[in-house]
Amino acid sequence: MLARGYWSDMMRRTLGVAAILIAAWVPAALVAAEAPRADLVGKLCGDTGAMGEGGRTLTALAQDGSPDDRKWAAPLARAMIDRKLTCDAGGAVLITAEGSQDAVTRAPRTAGERDRQPFLSLKNRALFETAAATLQLRTATDLGQRAAALRALERQTSGLPDRLFEIAAEEESDAGLKAQILATAQAAALNSTEPAKRIRAVRHISTTPDRRALAQIRPMTTDPAYAANPEFRSAVDAAISTINRGILTGDVLAALYNGFSFASILFMAAIGLAVIFGLMGVINLAQGEMIMIGAYVTWLVQEGLRHLAPALLDWYLVIAIPIAFVVTAAIGIALEAILLRHLYKRPLMSLLATWAVSLFLINLVRVTFGTQNLNFVTPFYVTGGVPVIGDFIFTWNRMFAIAFAVVTLAITSGLMRLTPLGLNIRAVTQNRTMAACIGIPVRRIDMLAFGLGSGLAGLAGLALAPIYSVNPQMGQNFIIDSFMVVVLGGVGTIIGTVVAALGIGQINVLIEPLWGAVAAKVIVLLMIITFLQWRPEGLFAIKGRRK
Amino acid sequence: MKPLASDRPFLCLLLIVIAVALLLAGSVFNSAGLSPYLANAIGQLAAFAVLAISLDLIWGYLGILSLGHGLFFGIGGYVVAMYLLKHSYEVTGRVPDFMQFMGWTELPFYWAGFGFFPYALLVAVVVTLLVSGVFGYVSFRSRVGGVYFAIITQALVYVAMLLMYRNDTGFGGNNGMTGFTVAFGWPVGSGGVVIIMAAVSVLVLGLTLLSCRFLMASRFGVMIVAAGDDEVRLRTLGYDTLRLKLAVWCLSAVIAAVAGMLYVPQVGIINPRLLAPELSLEIAVWVAIGGRGNLIGAVIGAVLVNAIKFWLSAAAPELWPFILSGLIVLIVLVFPNGLIDLAKMKLVRPMGVKRIAAETPELH
Repeated sequence: MLARGYWSDMMRRTLGVAAILIAAWVPAALVAAEAPRADLVGKLCGDTGAMGEGGRTLTALAQDGSPDDRKWAAPLARAMIDRKLTCDAGGAVLITAEGSQDAVTRAPRTAGERDRQPFLSLKNRALFETAAATLQLRTATDLGQRAAALRALERQTSGLPDRLFEIAAEEESDAGLKAQILATAQAAALNSTEPAKRIRAVRHISTTPDRRALAQIRPMTTDPAYAANPEFRSAVDAAISTINRGILTGDVLAALYNGFSFASILFMAAIGLAVIFGLMGVINLAQGEMIMIGAYVTWLVQEGLRHLAPALLDWYLVIAIPIAFVVTAAIGIALEAILLRHLYKRPLMSLLATWAVSLFLINLVRVTFGTQNLNFVTPFYVTGGVPVIGDFIFTWNRMFAIAFAVVTLAITSGLMRLTPLGLNIRAVTQNRTMAACIGIPVRRIDMLAFGLGSGLAGLAGLALAPIYSVNPQMGQNFIIDSFMVVVLGGVGTIIGTVVAALGIGQINVLIEPLWGAVAAKVIVLLMIITFLQWRPEGLFAIKGRRK
Repeated sequence: MKPLASDRPFLCLLLIVIAVALLLAGSVFNSAGLSPYLANAIGQLAAFAVLAISLDLIWGYLGILSLGHGLFFGIGGYVVAMYLLKHSYEVTGRVPDFMQFMGWTELPFYWAGFGFFPYALLVAVVVTLLVSGVFGYVSFRSRVGGVYFAIITQALVYVAMLLMYRNDTGFGGNNGMTGFTVAFGWPVGSGGVVIIMAAVSVLVLGLTLLSCRFLMASRFGVMIVAAGDDEVRLRTLGYDTLRLKLAVWCLSAVIAAVAGMLYVPQVGIINPRLLAPELSLEIAVWVAIGGRGNLIGAVIGAVLVNAIKFWLSAAAPELWPFILSGLIVLIVLVFPNGLIDLAKMKLVRPMGVKRIAAETPELH
């Protein structure tokens, strides 16, 4: 057994006969486990060369040792640096917070005679620093300590065991630190001295093509090896082109995804407006406030759940769906019955009347709830996302908005196509007088449609709640964009609203990174005005006599 | 339209306006007259009344509702603010705030010449005509009207507001422009100058009233009313309604810009909030409350609403939005033609409401 050799070696150097007696006295079973440990402690008490070997062994333990071994080894490395280890005839004594212990068995023991503390040379000191840090990274229970250890290791990555970071990352429980460990591992491999290892690292980095990877690889083109080693050079070039392609794909996907989520918000905000406008020729300027009220109802549901059923708190977004719809629809119906009913022949006056309602609602909410933004719990199903490619992250909160809009679209078009109410709404939209002549209760249809449109706006508010800031003014930010959607899409067509929302959403998101949000709005408006030159009735106008 | 000599309500209003202007003129030299604070309030009301007249021309007579008249008001305001700021800078050498803020050492090139008032006036008119002409032409050509036109104009003023909120445009950004110290070589803050500015505003109001009255009584005015009543019929008869509408629209825009030029020196500040869609909607509310299609109504509406607003924003600012929305609902439901209905005593009995509404179908 190899340990037996070290054992005798150590004896010859440092220990007297007493040590042999102790070794003989220790039960045989224990010797098997203790022997390498005692051997290691012996090295630590040895000469400069042995100490160096001991330091490397400690570092190796950080990778390959059992959890027990690592826990045992961790204080040793630190003790060597802090000179808390005292070598004596019986091996070594470790001074810890719990008092002095035997370095091998950790049984309480005080140092014997002829004791001395090993002194680390400059070279060995670095070795032990590394050993201490690696062991700390693997064993510390405190996240901050592990992070500190990683920072210490980042400075000096050569000479570490090959798979240390990989294993450490596997066992790391904290996601942030885990990512840091992996990044350090890659950087370490990239700067290693072996070309094969470097090429492997380059290839590995290019499998996650994002901007950070590019920042890591790009300096490699100025590396001496880039000019000298053609294999390395081609690997780096290939990696850079892969990463660039990945970033481009990611950016395009991210823009499209953002566009889709913006479009779905626009659609949600505009669909109610479009239904009402198509039916009655009334632009409801209070539509933005219906969105706002939908969001406030969602908040009230959340607060209600917090007090009554905290277990269900995470599901407030789902529970609020019917409530937000019913509340805003009721407000819409009341608005129609009290106010707009009298203004059918005068659409411009109804514009002012709905603005008065919007002013009233904003200030009512402001007086009741205050002007500050409401705080929303972010439930687990809208938290985080899945990194896809490049810097594109498929975030769940945007997905929630998109899915919500798709479901709303499906239900609304189902309602319009398949139910008697939908049939009546379409009939009145196409020809109000004729619909009235064949006995459709036009006034009741108006009222219900107004309720439907307002309820849909309430749902838009619900979908916005986890994404946007919710305050009394929030509706104002959407109303003009939703006008544009309605104007572009054409009156009273769901498909027109969908296409216009997608178009405006995507154009906005595509222009924004180039020239800014304001320019995006200006360009969209100019495009719409230009567009109306050849299709004044919008994209999907219902064919009929021009009014 | 009745001849001017027998149009007593109009003559009364004109007389009141002239009397106020004279009172203000007298107060400049006599400290026993109106206080500068009151004069300033009257001056602002006069500017708003001019603005209301401008919207009344296009909405009241032609039936085209613009919810973006704040844009032209803003153009006038910004141009006059540029004049005042540059003039003050040239006289006092005090660097404008926004230049300090942006770290600029000199004004952008397009500020050249703004220290000279006639040039600024010319720029205001040209820019207003350009914007209103191009926008009006493309809109009226494709026969965009009614609610469509209203919301597109609103989007226009909204976009202009967003543009002005940017700090790098060289128009003061979100802080706007303020710190006007000198106008035509006189110190702006002194009481006499404040009263003179108010007097000028009231005078301009009188002139606007009178010239619009003459315009509406002329052949052109008859055409405007005809186009408002039934544009299709007028077009079928062979009249070019596109040019007619465009001319009224541009005229209205220029009057709104003049109102902005009167307003900004009196409040001493301009910022992008002037371009907020709310203000443009409020203009329509003044006209609706006073009475559309009637110059007196527009003036009364603007003065009444803003006087209440001035008073309440000192006394009970929380209350104002509720009162305004209540007023609008009341007007819209009970007095479909505004307070003019009250004057004509059409509201004989509560049940008469429906009859009035039925008698006056909206023009669109």
